[in-house]
Amino acid sequence: MTKMDALFHALANATRRTILDLVRESPGGNVAQLCSHFPMSRIGVMKHLKILVDADLILSIKEGRERQLYFNVIPIQTAYDRWTTQYSGLWAGRLTQLKQAIESNRPSALPPEMEERGPRPHPQTEEES
Amino acid sequence: MTQPKKEMFKIHIRGTLDSVWQELTRTDGLQRAMFNSRLHTDGVQPGGQLRMRSPNGKYTAVTGQYIEVEEKVKLSHTFRFAAYDDPECTVIYELQEVDDGVELTLTVDNLPEGTKTAKQMRQGGTFIVNNLKAIIETGKPTFGARMLFVLFKLMAPFSPKKSLSVNWPI
Repeated sequence: MTKMDALFHALANATRRTILDLVRESPGGNVAQLCSHFPMSRIGVMKHLKILVDADLILSIKEGRERQLYFNVIPIQTAYDRWTTQYSGLWAGRLTQLKQAIESNRPSALPPEMEERGPRPHPQTEEES
Repeated sequence: MTQPKKEMFKIHIRGTLDSVWQELTRTDGLQRAMFNSRLHTDGVQPGGQLRMRSPNGKYTAVTGQYIEVEEKVKLSHTFRFAAYDDPECTVIYELQEVDDGVELTLTVDNLPEGTKTAKQMRQGGTFIVNNLKAIIETGKPTFGARMLFVLFKLMAPFSPKKSLSVNWPI
């Protein structure tokens, strides 16, 4: 399996994407803290974690008796660089920011008449079953 | 401001330990992976002072002091942007030889959360490891980096007085 295969295999799972979110939000957290977010067994979480580590998306650093987890953005940046040019990146970035601003109802990005609507309950929730 | 944070960037480079180490410590030319800065130092050794200056030496972007220097294995130094009053953070490069190249890990520790320094270092980390890879594998920095260097050159006269090199002697 190439590095790129490992990356997309790792990302092709909602639990693993959630693990990435959690590790990115709390760099240096340990496995026990991570497990507390999931109803599944520690072994189940470890299995997902191994796939993320194999793809270099998570760096698991030995610190004394435990391991600290860090998010590594480089594999995603590598995939991004492959299909994005300097110019398409700029405009695509503007569009995704616009989408985020509108969907999260960030007041500054909206005309006043739209600000009365409350924020959507879970703008970050993935739309999948 | 909350707890200082640590960020890590790991990249695989098809090159030798020699070439990566040389690029990280070179003083004989511009460090293109370090935003086209010129490294000024009184010695790449623990306690040695370092300044990352503009190509003509007039402005200083970064000041620091080497902490650990283990040739071709580990290089760490303190890091502070000359133009900001933020606390300093720590930058650590670790090199490891693998099958077909070198694995380079960049760690930025003690990031002062919520500061300009933290924001710039998060973006800077990706830039640095990506461009080290590009320089060693292709001989030149990425297209984006080359565009940025042109911009830097145009913007240099607007640098704050504080970052003038006369304020940051070694």
